[in-house]
Amino acid sequence: MAKKISRLINRASCIVHRALTNRALISALCIAHCALCIRAEEPLRPVSSTYTVEIGSAHLADTYLSPMHYTGIHAGLSYSRLQAMRFDPERWVMQLRLGASVDFTKNPAKTITLYNAGIDASWGMMRRWTLPAGFSAGIGPALDIDAGVLYIDRSGNNPASARAAVTVDASAFAQWRGSLLGIPLTARYSAMLPVAGVFFSPDYGELYYQIYLGYRSGLVHPAWWGSYFSLDNLASVDLHFGATSLRLAYHNYILSTKASNLVTRNVTHALSIGITTDWISLRPGSDAVKASRIISAY
Amino acid sequence: MKNILTAIFFALALCSCHHIEEFDNNAEGSFDAVWTIVDEHYCFFKEKDIDWRETGSRYRSRVYNGMSSENLFDACAGMLSELRDGHVNLSSGFATSYYRDWWSKYPQNFDARLVEQYYLGFNYRQLGPVIYGILPQNVGYIRWSSFESGLGDGNINNILSDFWLCSGLIIDIRDNGGGSLTNAEDFIRRFLSERTLVGYMVHKTGPGHDDFSKPWPYYYEPAGANCLIWNKPVAILTNRSTFSAANNFVSIMRYLPGVKIVGARTGGGSGMPVQFDLPRGWVLRLSTVSILDAQGHPTESGIEPTEGYAVDLDPVAALSGTDTMLDRAIAAVTE
Repeated sequence: MAKKISRLINRASCIVHRALTNRALISALCIAHCALCIRAEEPLRPVSSTYTVEIGSAHLADTYLSPMHYTGIHAGLSYSRLQAMRFDPERWVMQLRLGASVDFTKNPAKTITLYNAGIDASWGMMRRWTLPAGFSAGIGPALDIDAGVLYIDRSGNNPASARAAVTVDASAFAQWRGSLLGIPLTARYSAMLPVAGVFFSPDYGELYYQIYLGYRSGLVHPAWWGSYFSLDNLASVDLHFGATSLRLAYHNYILSTKASNLVTRNVTHALSIGITTDWISLRPGSDAVKASRIISAY
Repeated sequence: MKNILTAIFFALALCSCHHIEEFDNNAEGSFDAVWTIVDEHYCFFKEKDIDWRETGSRYRSRVYNGMSSENLFDACAGMLSELRDGHVNLSSGFATSYYRDWWSKYPQNFDARLVEQYYLGFNYRQLGPVIYGILPQNVGYIRWSSFESGLGDGNINNILSDFWLCSGLIIDIRDNGGGSLTNAEDFIRRFLSERTLVGYMVHKTGPGHDDFSKPWPYYYEPAGANCLIWNKPVAILTNRSTFSAANNFVSIMRYLPGVKIVGARTGGGSGMPVQFDLPRGWVLRLSTVSILDAQGHPTESGIEPTEGYAVDLDPVAALSGTDTMLDRAIAAVTE
């Protein structure tokens, strides 16, 4: 009797074991299949790169150097890179912006020149929404680094003033894709507004010679709208000609800072022209590569 | 949501325009610019007991729109002269104002030819801003006429190695009107054996007449490993035209061991000047940072020679080729 019972148990356990093994196999196959499906359906995320040159007017003031307002010419180069993000490409995009600019300005009497040179880099992510009729919009945070120097061509112990800031910005855009006179185009407005961060400013009457000798206290100030107001406006139209687009844009930049009773102001208006291209980097062995016939010139 | 957006809009509108005072491009506006910049930046009102508001109103009454640029310039220059500061100038396309009383009311106490002819026999070396040679008493002599330009480490090594067997060194900075503190610093470091407190700096922290930072100590390091260090007796020859960076040179050297200040009181000028441009393109220079010596004393009005070493140039003796100040300096390093 005991032997019979034992045999029955063994048979039952074998059936259960076989069933479980089959289910595990099926599950593993399903997971692998899904993974392959996901991989196969992973969207391509082209990078939109834009190179622009701009020229326009500059209005500078820095009470550390002069009580006067200087006006003159502004010129700049910039590079921007937009790409949908891997984790949620439908809704999130990343933006990298690099820029360099120079200003040549004169005092009202046209006797003294004030030069300004600066570089700027920012990286951020934006949540975007696709709206009806070709419209879309987005908003998100960005990390922004700005540095530069003003130099005034007269002697004295205050011939230059440095500028540096690290800020967290709010960035936003609104965009319309459509066509005009048969030319496909994208009209876009984007803006960046620093919200918080830190920036450099010497004390009211402090000389850079003192900083050179080691006086370093009180040089870093908290940046908020009351002390550091900056707004970067860019209105652009991309005219799409095949894989390349021509960008025509108006760029306006406003910077106004106040720390240690010193005020600086930098306002530029510029027209810019540039080229936008979409490109895709292909990883050897990826599905996209396997699915395509690629002939490299390299 | 609407309230939040409204608040953000007003916050942006309020913050976006940090005020910068603007001046009219006429006579009154230009005068007001000069007065205001001095009022907000000048650093010696208290030391010199100047009532700047009263001074301004006195000169303001002479200014009216439509007056000539020359007359406006004279009014501004007159007001600035009341600061009694050789670092304060107003520069225009036709003139630069200059306060001269700090040296013109004193004997000059210096004749370059006297030294070159009767002490060096025109047998001296010249290197940038410096002439140097060995005096008959086996004393090295350097005349540094301006700190506007400096010498490299190798240049200073060459001079000091020439003097290596001399019993002392005379540094003649009579008529040295200053220049760059870093040029003076490069030379001072040749007389230091360790990191040395050389003074304090006080700068304006705001536009008020009492808005100053705490005195901030600053130090000089000895010259580097490949630089010759001088540790024999030193005499520094000064006159009333020893000014600004040269005055600062004296304020530091006088506390170093083996150094004597010989001659006449220096001209002062311890304020570090900055420049601001004005509506007409004129440029205003004024002192904004006060440098105190290593004991915290102001030196704006000059530095007295070491006790017992005050001496003037005797004009009668000079006629026979004697520089009484240089003779005193030679004695100071050889006695």
